[in-house]
Formats: sequence, C-alpha cells, structure tokens
Amino acid sequence: MGTTFIEYASWFFETTVFIYGVGLLLIYAILAILSFVNIRLFLRKESYTDYKVIVGSPLAPGISVIAPAFNEGLTIISNIRSLLTFDYPNYEVIIINDGSTDDTLQKVIDEFSLVQVDFAYDVKLSAKPVRGVYKSTDEAYAKLLVVDKENGKAKADATNVGINVSAFPYFLCTDVDCILHTQTLQMLIKPIMEEEKKRVMATGATLRMANSCEVDEGVLITIKAPRPLLARFQELEYIRSFVLGKMGWSYINAVPNVSGGLGLFDKEIAVKSGGYDPASFGEDMELRMRMSRYVYDNKIDASVRYIPNTLCWTEGPTSVKIFMRQRTRWARGLLQLMLAHKKMLFNPAYGRVGLVVFPYNFFFELLAPVIEFLGIIYYIFLIYFGLVNWPYAIILLIFVYTYSVMISTLSVLWDQLTFQYYRTWKDVARIAAMVFIEMLIYHPLIVVFSIRGYYFQLTNRKHSWGNMQRAGFKKKADDKVPKNTNPAAT
Amino acid sequence: MWKDLVDLLFQAYEQFSLLPLFIEIALAFIIIAIAATIFAYGAILYKRYRTYVHEKRVAFISPIIEELITDQVLLNENLGKDIPTEEIEFDKEALSNKVYKKPFVRQILIETLIQYRKNFRGEVGELLRKLYIDMDLQKDSFAKMKSMRWERKIKAVVELTQMDISISDVTILPLTNSTNPSLRAAARNAYIQLSKNEPFKFFDIATEPLLPWDQLEMFKIITTTKDIAIPNFSRWVSYSSNKSVVSFCLKLIAHYDQQSAIPAVMELLNNKDHYFRADAIICLGKLSAEVAEEKMVRIYNHQPLNCQVEILKAMGAIASGKYLEFLKTEFLYSSNFDIRMNAARAIIKHNTQNSRLLVEELMEMTHEENQLIIKHCLNPLIKY
Amino acid sequence: MHEFGGGFHLRIKQSAEKAINRYMSNILVIEDDDIMLKAIRNILRKDGHEVLTAKDGKEAFEKLDNEQYDVVITDLMMPYANGLEVVSRLRANTEKRHVGIIVCSSVGNEETITEAFRLGADDYLKKPIMAGELMIRIRKLLANRSANLKLVTKKK
Repeated sequence: MGTTFIEYASWFFETTVFIYGVGLLLIYAILAILSFVNIRLFLRKESYTDYKVIVGSPLAPGISVIAPAFNEGLTIISNIRSLLTFDYPNYEVIIINDGSTDDTLQKVIDEFSLVQVDFAYDVKLSAKPVRGVYKSTDEAYAKLLVVDKENGKAKADATNVGINVSAFPYFLCTDVDCILHTQTLQMLIKPIMEEEKKRVMATGATLRMANSCEVDEGVLITIKAPRPLLARFQELEYIRSFVLGKMGWSYINAVPNVSGGLGLFDKEIAVKSGGYDPASFGEDMELRMRMSRYVYDNKIDASVRYIPNTLCWTEGPTSVKIFMRQRTRWARGLLQLMLAHKKMLFNPAYGRVGLVVFPYNFFFELLAPVIEFLGIIYYIFLIYFGLVNWPYAIILLIFVYTYSVMISTLSVLWDQLTFQYYRTWKDVARIAAMVFIEMLIYHPLIVVFSIRGYYFQLTNRKHSWGNMQRAGFKKKADDKVPKNTNPAAT
Repeated sequence: MWKDLVDLLFQAYEQFSLLPLFIEIALAFIIIAIAATIFAYGAILYKRYRTYVHEKRVAFISPIIEELITDQVLLNENLGKDIPTEEIEFDKEALSNKVYKKPFVRQILIETLIQYRKNFRGEVGELLRKLYIDMDLQKDSFAKMKSMRWERKIKAVVELTQMDISISDVTILPLTNSTNPSLRAAARNAYIQLSKNEPFKFFDIATEPLLPWDQLEMFKIITTTKDIAIPNFSRWVSYSSNKSVVSFCLKLIAHYDQQSAIPAVMELLNNKDHYFRADAIICLGKLSAEVAEEKMVRIYNHQPLNCQVEILKAMGAIASGKYLEFLKTEFLYSSNFDIRMNAARAIIKHNTQNSRLLVEELMEMTHEENQLIIKHCLNPLIKY
Repeated sequence: MHEFGGGFHLRIKQSAEKAINRYMSNILVIEDDDIMLKAIRNILRKDGHEVLTAKDGKEAFEKLDNEQYDVVITDLMMPYANGLEVVSRLRANTEKRHVGIIVCSSVGNEETITEAFRLGADDYLKKPIMAGELMIRIRKLLANRSANLKLVTKKK
C-alpha cells in the first residue's frame, strides 16, 4: 500500500513537472515567434522613418528625464553633461541628489554654476523631504534642475521627488550612471505617438552591459561584449529577456515590466496610480502592476510597448557577492509584489494583465526556481533509491539543455537582426559561447539566489541593501549595486 | 548496404515507438533544437557577412558620391549668380560614370541627396534636386512604388516627397485608401505637398483618427511646402466629425494665427469632451483671443481641473488685464495647487504696471506657501 | 613730439590691418553630422575662408582653446557638450568676445532660439539652411568685426 502511494506521488510530481516544463518551453517558442514578427514589423517601419521630423517639430511632447544619483562624485559631471545632449527639442533633466555623503552635490553646483532657488511644487507623491532645488545661472544649462533631498534608502523615493517637480506629461526614468543613446527620447516617444487605439502608458527598450565598453566622459565610443564571465552571462540574459521576451510580450500587450534603468512613462497615469513604492524591492514592476490596476479600474484602454533597439548601457555586477544581493533583492521584490497584488491573479477584471501577465509571472517566473529546486531534490531522492531510469533521465536533461541553447541562440540572432551593436565577430562569439554553459553555471546561481530571496521575504528579513550600496564609496564600477529591478522578468 | 541502413532505421523506429510518449517528444525536440541552433548560427554568420559586405560597399562608394555632389552642386560656379536652376548644367561625363548604374549605388545616392536636402534648401537644395532628376533617380524611386511590400511603397513616396517630385493624383490617391495605415499616412502627406488641386481634401474625408506622429509629419509638410494655399482651418473645426482632425486644425490655426477662426474655436468650448475643450482653450490662448476671455471666465466654474488650468494659462497668454481680479481670487482661494500656480503665472505674464502692483500686493498678504509660488514664477531661471 | 606720434599711429594702423587680413577668415565649424560638416567646409572654403572642423563638443573645446577664430558655426545636438554650452563658454571668455557665433540646428522651437541669442549667439539658422544666406551672414559678421577694429584704431 505504501509503495503504491509513493508511486502515485512520484507519478503525479513527475507529470506536473513535465507539463510545467512543456508549458514553459511552449511559451518560449511562442515568444520567439511573436518577437520575430514584432522585430520585423519594427524594422520595416524604421526603413522609412525620419526621426528628424520630431527633432524639428514644435509639436514634440515634453519629456522630463529623471535620474537619481547617490555618491556618484566620480562620474556625475560627465553623466549629467551627456544627459544634456539628447537629440530632442523639448525636455528637461532632473537630477535628484539622494542625500549623497560625498561631494556629488558640490561638484555639480560648481561645474554647472547652480544657485539655490525658491521652487514651488505640488507634493503629489510622498517622499523624503527636499533640502533644496537648484538651477543654473548659465543659460546653457537651462534644461537642468537639481534637487537635493534626504536619503530615502530607495531609488523609488528619489524618483517620486523627480516626478513631483517635473513639468512635462512624460517622464523618462533612468539611473545617472546609465549611458543612454542620444536618440533615446525620439525613439521611446514614437510608439506612444503611433499607437492606434490604446493609450500607451509606458515604453521601454533593450538594456545592455556597459562593462568592457569604451566609454569616454559619459559617451559610448565602442560597444564590446563584456569580458568578465558574470557580466557576459548577464548580457546574454538581458538580450534574451528584452529582444526575445519583451518584444514578444509587447506584440500582444502583455509586457510584465518596464525596467527602471530605462523607461518612458505617462506621468498622469503613474501619478494617479500612486507613484513608485519605496518599500518595494522591485519598484519598477510593482508600479507597472499598479498602473495596470488603475487603468483597468478606470476603464482606460492602455498598453505597454517595447522597441528592440538597445538604448541604455549599464554596469552590471561582476562580483558574485554583489550579484547575489541584486538577484536576492529582485526575487524578494517579485514575491512581495505577487503577494501584494494577488487579487489580480486569474482575475478577468484585469484583462490581459490578470489572465496572462500575472499568471505567467507567477508560475513561470516566481515558482520556477522552486520547482527546479524540488525537481533536483526529487532526483537525488530517486538516485538514492536507485529508481532512476538513466537513459530517460539523460535524454530529458539533454532535451532541456538543447532547448535552452536554441532559445538563447535565437535571442542572439534576433538581436543581430535588429542592429549589429558588436563591431567584431569575436564579441558575438563571446556571448554565443555563454549559451552553452549558462545552464551549468549561471542558471543554478539564479535559482539559488532567487530561493534565498523568497526565504528572506517570507521570513521578513531586513534587507541590508540600504547600507551595502552606500558603504563607503567603492569607486570601482564593479562593486556598484545596480538599482533596477529584474529586467529579465520575461 | 542500403538494405542494412533501412533495416537499421526500421529497428530504430521500432525502438522509438516503444518509448514512452514524453521521451519521444523529448527526442524529437532535441533534434529540432539542435537543427534550429545550427541554423541560427548560420543565420547570424550570414547576417554579419551581409552587413560587412554592405558596409564595405558603402565605405567604398561614399567618398565618390560625396565628391560628385561636392563638385557638381556645392562648388558649382554657377551658384549664386542669379542663373535659374534649370539652366545650370552638370558635367555630363562625371554623371555618366558606370558606377552610377549599379542599383545599390543609386540607392545610396538617393539617400545621400535626401540627407543633403535636409541640411540645405534654397539654391543648393534646388540644384540637388536637379541632379536627382538628371541622373534619372526618380525612376528608381517610382519603381519602388510597384513593390509588393508596403514599406517599400512608403519609402518610394517618402523619397519622392523629400525630393519634391510631383506624383500624379492617379498614382497617389489609391494609396491613400490602402489597407496599411502607415502607407495611407505617407500618401496623404505626399498628396498635401505635391497636389495642385485641393491638398486638404483629406480633412474632409478622413474617418480614422490622425495619429500624433502623423500629425507631426503633416505639420512639417504643411508648414514647409512652398506655394501651398493655406485655407482657413476653421471650417474643419466647425464641421468635421473627426476629433483628431479638429484638434490638428486647432494647432494649425494657432501656428498661422488665423484670427478669423476665433468664433469657430469658441464654439468648441461647448463640446462635451474635456480634452477637446482644453485644446480649444490652448488655441485661443495662442491666438491672444481677447474676445474669448469673457466666455472662458463664465464657464470656468463648471470645468474639470484640466480645462480650468488651461483657461488660466490662456489668460496669461492673452494678458488683457481685464480679469486680474478673477485671477487674484483663484490664486488666493483655490485649494488646488495647480490652479494657484497657474493663476499666479497668468498674473505675472501680464507684465503691466497694474499686474506688477498686484503681484507685490499678493506677496504681502498671502501665506508662505503662496509666496513661494510667486517667487517661483518670478524667477527667470525657472522655466516651467 | 608730433613726428614720433605720427609714426607710432601709422605703425599701429599697419599692424591692425595686417591683423585683419591674417584673421580675415578663420572659421570653426562644429557639427556632428559628417555630411553637413564637410559640405559647409567646402562651401566656406570656396568662398575663401580658412575652415577648421570639430565633430563634437569635446573636440570643439579643444580647438577653441588652441586657435583663434573669427566665426564659429555650431550645431546644438552633439556628443559631450551641447552647442549652447559652446556658445556660453565662448562668450564667457573675454579674450574671445569678438568671435562671431552662428548657431545652425534642426531644432526650431522658440525657446531654444531665444536661449541661444540670450547666451550671445549672433545668428540662428534653422536647418535646412540656404547656403547663400550663411555666406552673407558670415561676411556681415566679419565686416562688423573689422569695422569695430578700424574704429579702435581711428580713436587712437
């Protein structure tokens, strides 16, 4: 009797896992096809699009570029200067000094001839107090607005302040250390202006690793694939998640998240949804969910769209320790938001978000590491009892492996079809090579760190990122903890 | 030997069909995945190779094209001498170099000429156009129009528009009814620029919304085409049922300062759609329509927030001075920050002696938060 | 006393004229669009000017520090530093007050144009420009400059 139960349980578990696996693989296959179609459509439109029209037009919508900064003394000047060189006629640059403990603020004041001004604004989103608002006395920097505030231990807090003081109907959320393409504003506003029936509430584009790229004073000179192994894995992951994942989701208006490293938002909807949540560990995805709730509750037909071009380069963590902290935090953020918005799961009142985005992220993003982990334990259990059918087990493993290699290679291909960012085939090879060892090295790390994240969240462990990030100024870019949430939340 | 192979395959198949379903699926997928991966690598290499070849070609031909354009157009001795463009001749020998017969060279040449025309107009622009025609490049552009692919058709229309080549109504009108919305938009814009008859007839017949991006392009064409008869846009404001057309016309009315359209725009203030009303108010502000102020003040209290804010902004733009008291009341007593801010700004924008006195008065009598608003609006460093 | 004074005046006038002729046409063109950059350079050279080029803000500052120019033609949108910064820095430098500045950009909104003039640009041309107009404005700027210099020498 006992054995039958175990047999039954085994069979049940195995079948569940199998169905889960097939489901996941089917979804990836569908995403691959959808993203291909979407990229082709995009490229066809690009072949005749003249972005100069918007550069010279008085009808170009205003965009507020919001970039929080904390202890960026080393590079802040060139970063701000490059933010002032967007190819766009109507925008402002808002730098939020998030209570830096180094000379960030003073450097900026000196370089751009800033003076403190009496600035009146409506506190639409609550945040930590603002200590001062600065404008330049030099008309050349008229677009620049610098806000000094108390540290809120969260980028969300700083971004909210930026939204409060912003003047335009759209805002671009980014980090001050991200390197953005000069055409970013033109390209991100276009999907908003071209959407036929819905109101686009957010647009995003691909992010990539800036590690190993040649950068001179905030300007990208040469794009290279990262050399450090960990960064290379991340580059591959980003390419897959944006070019294959988000482009596919964008085609059916089911984008789960717009990255905090680069996202253009409709300010009205963002504000009415409540702005960013400083208590969230994954504030960008969390806001996106809340924005969806708001538009569905208020019967606004909205969409989130992506474009495949890479417009932002960010430094990815190269030490395992910092990487672990990042992924742990992202996992915490995901669990936190799933629990906070669990009402949306399978809820038709929330349309596609409730029926597609949320369930997908719940089963195939949130639960994936858990199921994998359980699967491995199960296998160890089987091995111990000598119950493993080795040929089958190996075949299944090969199946999973070759499939993931295929999907990742397709992602690289889709990316190459969009635009050849790498100058040399060596760079392509560097990334392509990662495809083969990702399953063995990178993926297990993610699984472990995610579970760690869920554990911390469930046990309500205090997250120490507040101090880690700020602990003395590690001038080496390697040690900086990137502040975005999981852009790879496909 | 073949028989052995067939036997082997048969045996393999037998074994295969004995396997559990999920293993069969797994094996099949493994083969598919490997094949797809190999194919993908092949595609990556192929694409990179193609791009490499293309870049090499471009690198080779660009200096030649640049030299051609520089010699023939930019440094042409007949420029600046009041000789009409049609009579300026190019060096026929330079133009008939066989390299210019290759299609990819011709395409690059077209795109380069378009690039130059985006930077230069006037005599140089005209001469560039003549070069385009003399080298028969418009034939290449027209040929694209016959393509099956919609983006090629659009490219054709765009090229011809940018080189100012007229397209007959017979050719362009069917495209305006195309199933592809982007092609329809491009055809419409071409029609406006190139048609001699009624360039704006689309405003009459358009049933679909005019997307903001299309409006951008249309605005550019309307405002930069020479010899275009600018009608009074108020007729569409009054009679069109297409909201985006009306909203676009409001922008054109403001741009061309069509004062006679003011009554029609004022009618829009009665419209049910509050985004619409806001657009109308913005337009009235830009037109400095003093006559509209009275009505705007009258309807003010029944308006949603966005319209109220626009009314205040418009009053700042009109700056008639007649409603300073109204603005003062709004500033002092409204509970909404945006209202108070815009009321203050409107008062300050008047920039008359009266308004300046009023500002000083307000500074003295109001509380700190409102004083901050006034200081903010007065500060020339703060733009918004 | 008079003779000495007369010779002195003459020598100043001669060296001023030499200065005018030597600096007659040194123009810096700052533009990140390669086609436009070369095209303007060619047109200006045809008109007899000495032309130097810079393709971004960084190069522009370097070239401005190293040489003297009579006229600077600059675009607004380019890497490292936008054109307004170039104008601002030029005007802030008292030694370079005499340099004529023409802004040449595709941006045409009122605000940007007023900003450019407030910073001290002498002219603003919206792309697409007329080559003839550019030439005339350059000549005018140069003429004003040499007229000012002549005034200076006359006063003495």
